[in-house]
Amino acid sequence: MIVFLAFLVYPILEGMRLSLYQINYDSEKFVGLANYTTLFNDPVFFKAIFNTIIFVVFIVLLTVGFALFVASAVFDKNAKYVSFIRGSYYIPVMVSMVVMSMVWSFLLNPANGLISFIYKDMGLGTINLLGNPKTVLPVVIFVTFATNVGQAIILYIASMIGVSKELFEAAEIDGASRWQVISKILIPSVGPTTTYITIINIIAVLKIFVVIQLLTGGGPNNSSVTLMYYLYNNAFKYNQLGVASAVGVIMFVITLLLSVPQLRSMIKVK
Amino acid sequence: MKKKRLLSTMIALMVIISLISGCSGNNAASSNTSDNTAKSGKEKVAIKVWLTPQWKGVVDATESGADYDSFLKAAAEKFKAQYDKYDADIQVEVIAGDQRDQLLNVNLSGGTPPNVFFESVFPMGDYVHRGALEPLTDIIDEDAKSDIAQNYWDAVTFGKDVYFYPFQHNPGTLVYNADMFKAAGLEKFIGGESEIKTWNLDEYQQILDGLKNNLPKDKYSNAYPMALYAVNNQGDTWNLAYLRMFGNKFFDDQGNIVLNDANGVKAATWLKKLYDGGYTNPGAESVSSNDANAMFQNQQLAISFTNPILFNGTKANMESGTSPKFDMRLANIPSESGDPLSFTYVVGASVFKSKDAKKTEVAKDFVKFFSSDPELVKSSKNGIPVRSSVAEQLKSENPLFAAYDANSKYLFNFTGNVPGYSQLREVLYPDLQALYMGAKTPEQFVQDYQTNGNKVIDTNKANSVIFQ
Repeated sequence: MIVFLAFLVYPILEGMRLSLYQINYDSEKFVGLANYTTLFNDPVFFKAIFNTIIFVVFIVLLTVGFALFVASAVFDKNAKYVSFIRGSYYIPVMVSMVVMSMVWSFLLNPANGLISFIYKDMGLGTINLLGNPKTVLPVVIFVTFATNVGQAIILYIASMIGVSKELFEAAEIDGASRWQVISKILIPSVGPTTTYITIINIIAVLKIFVVIQLLTGGGPNNSSVTLMYYLYNNAFKYNQLGVASAVGVIMFVITLLLSVPQLRSMIKVK
Repeated sequence: MKKKRLLSTMIALMVIISLISGCSGNNAASSNTSDNTAKSGKEKVAIKVWLTPQWKGVVDATESGADYDSFLKAAAEKFKAQYDKYDADIQVEVIAGDQRDQLLNVNLSGGTPPNVFFESVFPMGDYVHRGALEPLTDIIDEDAKSDIAQNYWDAVTFGKDVYFYPFQHNPGTLVYNADMFKAAGLEKFIGGESEIKTWNLDEYQQILDGLKNNLPKDKYSNAYPMALYAVNNQGDTWNLAYLRMFGNKFFDDQGNIVLNDANGVKAATWLKKLYDGGYTNPGAESVSSNDANAMFQNQQLAISFTNPILFNGTKANMESGTSPKFDMRLANIPSESGDPLSFTYVVGASVFKSKDAKKTEVAKDFVKFFSSDPELVKSSKNGIPVRSSVAEQLKSENPLFAAYDANSKYLFNFTGNVPGYSQLREVLYPDLQALYMGAKTPEQFVQDYQTNGNKVIDTNKANSVIFQ
């Protein structure tokens, strides 16, 4: 408990305190809510909130939907086949996000990337998926989703294997179709897993950073800036530690608000 | 009962935190006293020296085992051998240039900055304004003052004090592939091998047209006339130079940005026109200067950006066979007036403030030593020496020294020594991206950059120790 308080609660409280100060490297000055005022006067901050919400909604929906689809399609197949599917989807999870981002950066670079080269070679002109505000968010969503979905698939398959066989047998006797089995038995049975996957993905996506830093740098024209990237810029590039702490506090509150209802429903089910 | 348990937990927590604070305080105190005594009988003082990659080797990249830290490690050994005040323990560490501010800010906040930092001066000015650096005025002697020209001292002087000991400088120029020029029928625009060619704006347009229309596609497939990049702050000095091409002075006498005038708009319009006209690599808003440099080395760009360190690095790559060989020459950034636009990065060492006076003393002594030792300062030939004596001594070795020297009368101070320059760099590229994407007109771009940039300068002026 003491360790929990010292290393988890104390940093949160310290972050809240710092958000009320203007911090130089050797001095602190109490400025009240001035850091929050700075934030709310910065249009980039609102863009960061908007982009983060877009990322959370789409990545979580895609992850849950696709993982459910894959897991429900394979969970009752041959054990070796299930292992193969699990392994295949889990490989990107094991690879560092840094490496994945670098690979995607190589593919998508508009000047000398592979995708741009093939596109041009086919006589279609130049393509810049990372330099277009309309395509940069879908690209980042896809890259993050593709890298992380393996984790959700593993959890769903494990959860589905644990569903009582009697339910499936009863459904078979009643002549239920595969879709009816999935929608009426499987999906409700793995409800707690869905809640868990949703919560951990919401929290993970709220903190999305590496892919932004390495793939887009928040651009073009701040089109892909996220709250975490905005926090990082303020803390480590602009040396505005107070403002960065204020962003951290806001992120903490958002995460709390999003997670509490989910956690409550999970506790209720248990 | 619950209340009691909570109270006792809180008390225990406070005791633990106090103990931790107490221990760390003791540690700091013990390290501050530096009371270790080495076998030599001299007191041991350990300092941390950081550098960003500058050049490999002590003097030359061809030395065996040459690396970025070779020079400062050799300097440390030489310094230790002759230093009689303390037993100096000098730890040299190379950090990535694009992580400089992050690492420095984290270490400054944690109270563990390096004692010495060897770097281009321009991104380090903020640390002067923030009061993180020691003035070095007291270690600059008359010999140094007379051997290093005043314009370099101006670049490292903030308020009344010198904060960086100039070592070398790296003038920024364009670099072009003379073989591509020949292939496109542009021989008449090629300068000498030891010349920094100056084209006027009309000639530059002819060159771009020639490269765009006449470069043989079978030999140079997927090649573009000129580099343009704006994904981040890398190489932004060239972008800042382009914005001055039509005579905009960029900073006024109070250190405020004044880009929003007819000349500023003209420059932004010119950049956008080049980009839209296909004279540059595509996707400038998503391309970094590193990408541009790699493309130039792979002969995908005919004209790019360089400085002596990048230029020597590219030459070394060609010699080692890691990049294709071609005839590579230098040119100035053209301007409407016909005079070249010239800027330089002064490179030198700074000393971060430390609570341990002995560390500061050793750090300053070390900086003075390697910045003035007659043998060690010869390494400045990896860029361009700031010392006239070294340039004179080595001019036969590098004929470009004279060409760079001739350019020095056109130098402009691209930072304006304004507070918050690092943050100002972060403001530029999102606006440039907006310009290239068409999200902002040239008029909006110059206006927004001026407004956002001046906001940064104003905020940082309020916190600057130089302005107070």
